[in-house]
Amino acid sequence: MKKRLLVSLLVLGLVCMLVPAGYSADTTVVKYAHWNALSEEYNYVKAFEEKYPDIKIEFTLIPEAEYSQKLTTMIMAGTAPDVMCLWECDISRFANGGFVIPLDDYVSQSEAFTLDDFIPAVQGLIEMQGNLYGLPWCFATEIMYYNKDLFDKAGVSYPDENWTWEDFENAAQKLTVVENGKVEQWGCDALSFQGLWYSLIGTFGDDIVNDKGQFSMGEGAKEFLKWWYRLTNEEKVVAPPQISTSGIISTDLFVAGKAAMAFNGSWMASVYRDIQNFKWDIAPIPKGVRQYSTLHTGFFTVNSASKVQDAAWQFIEFCMGEEGQELINKAANNPSARLSILEKGYYRVQGPMGPENWDAIDKTAQFAQWGYVLLPSGLTFDIVKDFNAAILGQIGTDEVVEKAINRAKEILGEEGVASE
Amino acid sequence: MAFKRESIVPYLYLLPWIIGFTLFMGGPIIAAIVISFTKWDLLTPPTWVGLSNFINMFSAGSEFWVILKVTLIFMVFSVIITMCWSLFTALLLNQRVRGTGIFSFFYFAPAVVPLISLTFVFQLMFNKELGIVNYVLSLVGMEGPNWLMDSRLALWVVTVLCIYTYFTGQMMLIFDSALKEVPKELYEAAEIDGANAVNKFFKITIPAISPIFFFNLVTGTINSLNTSFALIYPLTAGGPGQATQVMSLDIYVNAFKNFRMGYASAEAVILFAITAMMSLLQFRLSKKWVHYEA
Repeated sequence: MKKRLLVSLLVLGLVCMLVPAGYSADTTVVKYAHWNALSEEYNYVKAFEEKYPDIKIEFTLIPEAEYSQKLTTMIMAGTAPDVMCLWECDISRFANGGFVIPLDDYVSQSEAFTLDDFIPAVQGLIEMQGNLYGLPWCFATEIMYYNKDLFDKAGVSYPDENWTWEDFENAAQKLTVVENGKVEQWGCDALSFQGLWYSLIGTFGDDIVNDKGQFSMGEGAKEFLKWWYRLTNEEKVVAPPQISTSGIISTDLFVAGKAAMAFNGSWMASVYRDIQNFKWDIAPIPKGVRQYSTLHTGFFTVNSASKVQDAAWQFIEFCMGEEGQELINKAANNPSARLSILEKGYYRVQGPMGPENWDAIDKTAQFAQWGYVLLPSGLTFDIVKDFNAAILGQIGTDEVVEKAINRAKEILGEEGVASE
Repeated sequence: MAFKRESIVPYLYLLPWIIGFTLFMGGPIIAAIVISFTKWDLLTPPTWVGLSNFINMFSAGSEFWVILKVTLIFMVFSVIITMCWSLFTALLLNQRVRGTGIFSFFYFAPAVVPLISLTFVFQLMFNKELGIVNYVLSLVGMEGPNWLMDSRLALWVVTVLCIYTYFTGQMMLIFDSALKEVPKELYEAAEIDGANAVNKFFKITIPAISPIFFFNLVTGTINSLNTSFALIYPLTAGGPGQATQVMSLDIYVNAFKNFRMGYASAEAVILFAITAMMSLLQFRLSKKWVHYEA
């Protein structure tokens, strides 16, 4: 009798160990990874779980700086989550290796949305990949932020979509305040987010990534770096580069009210909306020989090794539906890549002091391109360190561009770099 | 031939370590050597490229030479600074003053703070515009430099900041216990003979603690070569340019950011060889200055 009781207890214990704590036996657990923390106010994971109580989402937050490599190593170790939000540069690698499944069948049967509802750039990327391996969780661009109070004080008119780099330079000079030979207020903050270098270089004419998918940088980059060097070191209207490891900076002169303008990703609106002490707004990046900005997204994908692929798709379908998109857009201030949802403007969540000019993001989305986001993140990491060194006068601006091209050849191979 | 029980037992005690070493150290070392002859992006099968990774690494225009130079400069000076600092603080703790326990706590406190937190604090402190270091300098009329973004300064700032790492704290504790073991009679005899503090330090203290000094030197060198990544990656990410790009960091960037596992493994093999040679050299030279008997 005692023996039977002991065996029963052991079996019960084993069952308890196999079912994750807090979940009933018929609950399906879907593991999901993303680089953005879940917002308390706009939590799309929680909303999904409330709608589908028999599916639980186990969310893993992977820091942005290590995102790509972490997912790659998880795939190799067989521990990757069921749903991965993959970057543009990774989705092809994962698809070619057979680590994510095509979603064509799921999408064709879905009643939540159709593929012709996506912005053209996303459709183009889907076509480049052959099959449909992922769906864009939202999109973002790179834009200009400006402190309206400082503009008013200096009597400078606000930037708009017609601004050129000449307008920017004139404004930066008027907005720079020097006291006792020391700059107390900068016209513009240094470039902190890595992608901005490419966006600004793009306005000087370089393709960054051409239509063949090759790395393409040259004269535009040299001209931009020379000009940015002059603004930083001779005119002293742009703050010198500060330490920024993998895009994370411990100081932000724009937030501190010590820089009148700054360039950053549109997602920073969700951070800056907490600003309380000055009015601010957004504008597209000024024009050079052309208008240019980088488009960003991440794709919801299903791990080919997942044992809960149907439940994983159910979660993706919810996220791509209007309810999920509304929460995602509001949480990150990022617009939906679905045209019918984009026009509803859910992403326009304003803080007490700004922004108001949401058209800046919509207009930027019209000319923004997938540029460097299609390149390995390590290449950007290496090149941007050298760009910073060039602005600090530690390496020649022409030399740094040659170095970037050689580095790209090392990593992408000769065929991955456009011939000059 | 039957094994005697006594001859098997010691090996059984050693077995867990041997199994652990084979699985977690020996296996990966052999794997890294094999991978160094391949081109592998982690997701697609590796292809055999022979010595191509090593040839690229040692070619004339390769960045490897810059990285090697930075690595060796960092190794030499970080070892000197951490050894001197830990010995200095250990000597202070051995003075006949009250409250050495409190001092001991304060000296060791930075070592128990997670390094990642320390590096972000350092980034803030050394910020050119908003950092406290430049603010203090401005109070005496000096304009502070861009500490972590100036290629002439960054490596030295990072090297000096090594004194706040766990390893320096650990070195201090080891020196502290070694200093407490030095026979007091030797100092008393030297005082009678009229020796001053400097003479006592170089003629008694250093020879008496030389085995511990040697231990800290070897482990400090290995630590500097292999684990400097944890300090440098979050602090400067190897920049500006390649001013602080040490080999351990470059291995990480090539392996996990550029997915060049073959090249990264080739670098790891070279780093392994350098570390082994440095340790061997130190062991050889130690015969001349390490005294194992008081």
